[in-house]
Amino acid sequence: MWEQLFEMIFKPDFLFSVIRITSPILFAALAAVVAEKAGVTNIGLEGIMSITALFGTLISYWTQSWAVGVLGALIVGIALALLLGFFALKLKTDIILGGIALNMIGGGGTIFLLYLFTGLRGNTGELTTPEMLIPQVNIPLLKDIPVVGEILSGHSLLTYIAFFMVFLTWLMLYKTSLGLNIRAVGENQNAADSVGVSVIKIKYIALGISGALAGLGGAYMSMYYSRSWNSGMIAGRGFIALAAQAMGQGEPTGSMWSSLLFGLANALKNKMEGMQGMSSYLVASIPYVVTVLGLVIYAVATIRRVRKTRRAQNAMTAPAGEEK
Amino acid sequence: MRNKRMFLFEVARGFAAILLALAVAVIFIALCTDDVGGALEQMLLRPLFAKNGTFNANSLWVVLSRMIPTIFTGLAVCVMFSANQFNLAAEGGVMLGGFLATLVGIYVPMAAGLHLVVCLLIGAVAAALTMLLPALLKVKLGASEMVSSLMLNYIIMYVVLHFLNNNFADRSKGSTQTFPFLETAAVPDLVPNTDLTWGFVIALVFVALVAVFLFRTRWGYAIRMIGINQAFSKYSGMKVGSVIVLSQVIGGFLAGLGGGIEVLGRYSTFLWRELPGYGWTGVTIAILAKNNPLMVPFAAFFMAYLERGCELMRTNAGVPAEMLDIIQAVIFLFFAAEQFLARYRQKLVVKGAREEMKQAFDSEAAAKGGNA
Repeated sequence: MWEQLFEMIFKPDFLFSVIRITSPILFAALAAVVAEKAGVTNIGLEGIMSITALFGTLISYWTQSWAVGVLGALIVGIALALLLGFFALKLKTDIILGGIALNMIGGGGTIFLLYLFTGLRGNTGELTTPEMLIPQVNIPLLKDIPVVGEILSGHSLLTYIAFFMVFLTWLMLYKTSLGLNIRAVGENQNAADSVGVSVIKIKYIALGISGALAGLGGAYMSMYYSRSWNSGMIAGRGFIALAAQAMGQGEPTGSMWSSLLFGLANALKNKMEGMQGMSSYLVASIPYVVTVLGLVIYAVATIRRVRKTRRAQNAMTAPAGEEK
Repeated sequence: MRNKRMFLFEVARGFAAILLALAVAVIFIALCTDDVGGALEQMLLRPLFAKNGTFNANSLWVVLSRMIPTIFTGLAVCVMFSANQFNLAAEGGVMLGGFLATLVGIYVPMAAGLHLVVCLLIGAVAAALTMLLPALLKVKLGASEMVSSLMLNYIIMYVVLHFLNNNFADRSKGSTQTFPFLETAAVPDLVPNTDLTWGFVIALVFVALVAVFLFRTRWGYAIRMIGINQAFSKYSGMKVGSVIVLSQVIGGFLAGLGGGIEVLGRYSTFLWRELPGYGWTGVTIAILAKNNPLMVPFAAFFMAYLERGCELMRTNAGVPAEMLDIIQAVIFLFFAAEQFLARYRQKLVVKGAREEMKQAFDSEAAAKGGNA
């Protein structure tokens, strides 16, 4: 059994699938990073992804253009995040509860909306046409390199955008005045307020960006990954993204690595499901178990680091104390 | 007197939120069907009243029986949210409690009265113990209880499905389910031949117990104080860590108990193939009840009524029952919105303060007049 497993893992198509599975989690994780940097916890990511996945499919069906569909998903994502912002920032709904409400709409609400717009129940499989799917991109030169080409070339356009977004998010957060404001608001909003930063506006902007990223993740799910929308397709990816953000210490690059870890767990699950002698149910729980383990490891590491710095500080200040 | 006015304001505000949600519902219904009036009648009246306007007792039993699991999850969430712990694993707790209670009900025969109690206790204690995971991770390592409890839901679901499918499935049946549990493990009916069992009474007893616990005991006080101000509680000498763990363990116990009572009361085998959703309804109920256990039954009744109404609307008016989720989300958002209608509250507070000052002034003047 293990031999069989190892044989599967050390093949280019396995690593290809890791990248493929990581993409939507990465979008959502970056969404969590931006929101959390501004000091707002967006637990509505799960719902936003589900709703935008639906609207991406519907809009691309109506226009028969995947590009318009992706754009639509992006806009719906922004709108939902701003709606959450309106309730959380203006009406002072606890943002966690606001997020839960979004997740409710993402759960049963999407099934209702689908019926409302199309009369279909639970999935859009029969609507799918090739024009509605996000195209795959073969990168010239790279695709001809053995192994590496097989792993890195031929992904969906959005996959490349997802990894590019890691860089863009970092650039936005650390090299622009907007990013500085976002981080300032997240660090200490009173201080930011006192130097004339509009805290509410910055939080709205951060939420909007986070909604846009989650929208791209949703579009990826329904318009590429499973080629149609069905209820429950997000399957906790929005929640896993929150864990990826926490594990990545709230930084874009760190979150990318933790997203890749969860992508790996998921790909492993997909491979093992078909194997003899494996309980498909226990295998299906692997990504969630890995997420909890990841949280634990991250928390332990943080505590160690804090202790270490404290000890170092104590060592430095102790002699000074003796002299007194 | 001021408190009474604020209370009335809160009630009015709640109704405003519900009316808003119903207005949204009307819009969606209008998009789905031409007969809006008929659909609304199905949703709002039919759960309790028959077509000719007479009271329909059977339908009431259905609504009341729906409240049993959600009262428990509502209480569970109340306790956890009171301590400001956003643990969302009541969902998984229900499933685990229901599954283990069923297993004991099938494989461990016991005397009639004892059997049910042992089944329920084992399910509830197991669910309580699993809550140690998010609770201890939070207290010892500072990991978000929200993320870990959400993951825990999925893990519990898959582990239960694993054992259900591979170890305990009754292969003679078309769908995956366990063997039927023994008669001695069934929760007896409160109203014969309906789904309304004694579980309803147990649920109400637990409402009282949780209310006493939260409002009349030291631990309950600590839970509420930590929810209001954790730093203050810590510096005033409360064992914050233990209380946080306690609140989540109690939440797990209540959720597991609710799951056990639901399965042993409503069904004759365990047949859930996915998370049953009662945990999320419990969150809504706790929000509607504003974390007050005594209000939980009313909120649970409201939700059960609405759910039944949406079902009837689906069967008789062709509007998908999933609309409930949208109504629920809207109510939820406005109920939890502190600033919703805040301007009116401001006016009320100002008015109340003015009146009080005037009264004080008058009585002072009267006292002075008396002295002179």
